[in-house]
Amino acid sequence: MRRFAHPAWWLRLVGVALLLLWSLGPIYWAVVSSFTLPTDLTVRELHLLPPHPTLMHYQNLLGAVSSFQGVVTQSVWPLFSRALLNSTVTALASTVVTVAIAALGGYAFARMRFPGRRALFGLVIATMAIPAYTVMIPLYRLLVALRLVDTYVGITLIYVSAFLPLALWLMRSIYETMPRSLEEAAWLDGAGRLHTLLRVVLPIASPGLIAAAILTFLSAWGQFMVPLVFSPTLRTKPLTVLIPEFVTKNYVDYGLMNAAGVLAILPPLLLVAFLNRYLVSGLMAGAGK
Amino acid sequence: MALALPIIVTMGALVFYPLAVTLWDSLHRVDPMRPGTPFIGLRHYIDLVADENVRQATWNTLVYVAIAVLLETVGGVAAALLLSSVKHGRKWLLAAVVLPWALPPVVNALVWLWIYNPSYGVLNALARTAGLIADNQVWFNDRPAALVLIALVHVWRMLPLTAVIVLAALQSVPGELYEAAWIDGAGPVRSFFSVTLPLISGGLAIALTQSTVFAFNLFDEAWILNGTSRDTRTLLVQVYMSAFQNLHFSYGMALSALVMFVSLAVSLFYILRIQRTTEFG
Repeated sequence: MRRFAHPAWWLRLVGVALLLLWSLGPIYWAVVSSFTLPTDLTVRELHLLPPHPTLMHYQNLLGAVSSFQGVVTQSVWPLFSRALLNSTVTALASTVVTVAIAALGGYAFARMRFPGRRALFGLVIATMAIPAYTVMIPLYRLLVALRLVDTYVGITLIYVSAFLPLALWLMRSIYETMPRSLEEAAWLDGAGRLHTLLRVVLPIASPGLIAAAILTFLSAWGQFMVPLVFSPTLRTKPLTVLIPEFVTKNYVDYGLMNAAGVLAILPPLLLVAFLNRYLVSGLMAGAGK
Repeated sequence: MALALPIIVTMGALVFYPLAVTLWDSLHRVDPMRPGTPFIGLRHYIDLVADENVRQATWNTLVYVAIAVLLETVGGVAAALLLSSVKHGRKWLLAAVVLPWALPPVVNALVWLWIYNPSYGVLNALARTAGLIADNQVWFNDRPAALVLIALVHVWRMLPLTAVIVLAALQSVPGELYEAAWIDGAGPVRSFFSVTLPLISGGLAIALTQSTVFAFNLFDEAWILNGTSRDTRTLLVQVYMSAFQNLHFSYGMALSALVMFVSLAVSLFYILRIQRTTEFG
């Protein structure tokens, strides 16, 4: 390989620099803006660092009172904290439920023989190509009938049905790469099927479980279309629906918007920084390898 | 079988049942403003074809798909090649590349909205500094510019997926093949087109399908950056407006069913192609 890379070491360096600028530049800009004074946000000159670093946007977001253009306004913290809680609860709940169902179901599809197994799996996987809006109206009526609109249970159920196919695909492909001999050895020792799955198979499949959990969490954390319809009030409204509302009000507080965005970015950022290995392997496996 | 039961129940109740209702209702007039739900056959589908808004949304969507697939494929392959050639710190470079994909699409769109801001946006400042424009531009006043800028935000988010898929494919290419090509006198460009490209075509096909389907279902970026403007709205924005703002339920359902059929057709096309290549390969 080295011989083919020889034309220019610096060419590669420029490539890396461009790639980093493209990927991180916009995020960097949001972070800088979130620490910039409102008066500095609206100057014509370009500045790569905040001229007068300030925490005021974060104070507005997290503090007991907020101010805009020097006028004290109602604090956005009650709104923000509730949306943060809603995002966290729905994302975590749908992750746990999705991964649990996919871990069991994926095993059934990988190892057990039952009629219609292949057709059923194909049908479930095919739903990944269905846009959410295709099922949204009947789903809305169904949830109204069940009194589940604007509840954690309702939102979680929809997320599970939306993100289950990918997790299922991932888990089945993990099980299929595992040798059967381990399970057979456990059965010979007299362990039951479920016991074998929980105690022998799942621990080995844990990288797949982590990957499925990360992919599901990120999808749920970033969801916008579903809560736009199913979370009309602050009871379940997540950050992804609340933050754009900062923009559509009469004044757009760009500093506040960027600070809120940066905070919403933090959980995914930490996942990518520390667990990227699992995330990438999940993406590779999820792409049908 | 019992292990698969939760899947059957969840998917049956929350996906397949609503899907059947959507298809059934799209053949009826379901409209909260008008009494009754008479059977109207394919009336909605015929009306959709003639609907000016739908036509415009279709064009917009096709423009997004074209830009997204082109840029994501070229950029994704370039990023993957670069990643596979980097030895030190590849882990961190990969993390940086993946990051935009992992963030909430809505927050991405807001970050870019600020970048594109007509008065204080960094895009205007950079373009002014570079001497490309004399004065600040209201980018979204110009339809072609608006379409490109919205597509760019989508590309920013989805390019990592192509890069990762192509990277996986690249890693399965045996290194000896490059040596053989080099001994035969092939340069880097030649060996890319005659060794690398054929061997990663399977992964590339998957990446192309993902790019197409995701761009076809674009919603968040268009919604946040330019709202319901006719100039930039996508098919799914049109569905949302028909069904949830104008409350023409079954009309919106018919349109969403059409979007689904196209998405499924694209996916099926790729599944069949992959199967054929693996059968004969």
